Amino acid sequence: MAQQLTLIFRKPDGTDLPVEASVGQSVMESAVMAGVPGIEGECGGCLSCATCHVYAPEGLTGAGDDEDAMLEETETPRRPESRLSCQIRVTADMDGAVFGIPGDA
Amino acid sequence: MTAPNPETDHVAIIGASHAGLQAAQALRAGGWAGPISLFSAEPDLPYQRPDLSKGFLLEDRPDPMALKAEAFFTGNDIALHRSTTVTALNAGARTLVANGEVHRWDRLILATGARARTLPYDAANMATLRDLPDARAVRAALKPGAHIAVIGGGFIGLEVAAAARNHGATVTVIEAAPRCLARALPLEMTEVLLNRHRAAEVDLRIGCGVTGHEMTGDRITALTLTDGSRIACDMVVVGIGCDANTDLAEMAGLTIAAGGIAVDGQLRSSDPAIMAIGDCASFSNALVPGPVRLESIQNATDQARHAAAVLLGETGDFLTMPWFWSHQYELKLQMAGFPQPDAPMIQRSDPASGAFSLLQLDADNRLVAAYSLNAVADHVAARKLIGSDSVLDPGRAADPGIRLKDAVAEPVPSPT
Repeated sequence: MAQQLTLIFRKPDGTDLPVEASVGQSVMESAVMAGVPGIEGECGGCLSCATCHVYAPEGLTGAGDDEDAMLEETETPRRPESRLSCQIRVTADMDGAVFGIPGDA
Repeated sequence: MTAPNPETDHVAIIGASHAGLQAAQALRAGGWAGPISLFSAEPDLPYQRPDLSKGFLLEDRPDPMALKAEAFFTGNDIALHRSTTVTALNAGARTLVANGEVHRWDRLILATGARARTLPYDAANMATLRDLPDARAVRAALKPGAHIAVIGGGFIGLEVAAAARNHGATVTVIEAAPRCLARALPLEMTEVLLNRHRAAEVDLRIGCGVTGHEMTGDRITALTLTDGSRIACDMVVVGIGCDANTDLAEMAGLTIAAGGIAVDGQLRSSDPAIMAIGDCASFSNALVPGPVRLESIQNATDQARHAAAVLLGETGDFLTMPWFWSHQYELKLQMAGFPQPDAPMIQRSDPASGAFSLLQLDADNRLVAAYSLNAVADHVAARKLIGSDSVLDPGRAADPGIRLKDAVAEPVPSPT
């Protein structure tokens, strides 16, 4: 069993949704499995849909080339810390990391 | 009939894949308070399907990615009935029979999907690729030195071929039509894709049919083809398309069109209490002259959200831009829009470069469809441009030095 930890998804209104995540899965996967509103992950994580947009915490910013292009497509406003959460692997040091869910409060 | 009552009405959803599950989620998220039941014939939690013919075939992991964890269903009070096959539907009585038990419903959503067409051979080593057991069977056969015969050179067949080569299996792809992907891709892009398969030493037999098969025990050991050749094989994968699951709809007396359950712009079947969404539904609207069935995740999830919205009071029609993708080797194909069979194509970049797009403009130079290969930025820009009022400058759109999103024509100054 992969190591379990907790990720925090912060809703646009500021409330936090703690979600159980497994090391090795993607941040998108953990959010989608829990039904976090605003994170759809429609394409399953293959960089095709841009429906898993998050504002990433420090240290996890910096999108790859294709991801950067997809971030242009997001429905919600792009910021410097924007990432597609399907491209972020859950690692053991991420317990308690806070990911912002874009959108209107 | 009376309007739905979101406080008390029971919504039964038949089929718990991308469409059915999304409908349940969207209903709850939109404030539907009445009971929601989701019927799934499969034993597993709903899972990601597109990956079954792509990453899942390449990686050694036991399960595909679930669409939702168990806690999602309990937390949202969605009754997920697994391993539960709906065998009867009575529209007049507003009932269904599942695993022998009668369930009453007030509103019904058919998300029954489609089933893979197959061949009438009774063989242990022949598979289609539609669900998780299929994908496990195919993956188990993709071994170094194994020979895989793929019947059908569409997306599923070609994705399986790419995965098989990745595992070191040899592959023959047999396509009866004179060209592969004739309805799905422009010829120039299909050729780039097929050349990549040829470079990977996939044996492509296009315009070639299967005339017979040889069996040893319960296994197919060879296929004979219309070109006179004999293909020895360890596994046969059949990817020759899908048929919508319309049995229950027919049982309920619903109208069938174009092989699917006929729905209006609001995704209602010929019985207004019953909707149909996803692969099983034939729809038409102002953008897509139908009736047409679309088999894609985008269509399944967008129709699911629209069906939920309609139950919650939305009065508009389902109008979304189709998009689709395929991955083979390092090639990422992305398509968007409403292809016009006869409209000319604008080419961006040289296909030989391995990254290019083909664009279709209408008579007013508005973008209507885009096909991109390893050109994510073009696909993304296209999805914003298609359906918008933006008029493109064809010369700029063809210039890879100019970003597609910046290829909008300068507005013509209005005469004063």
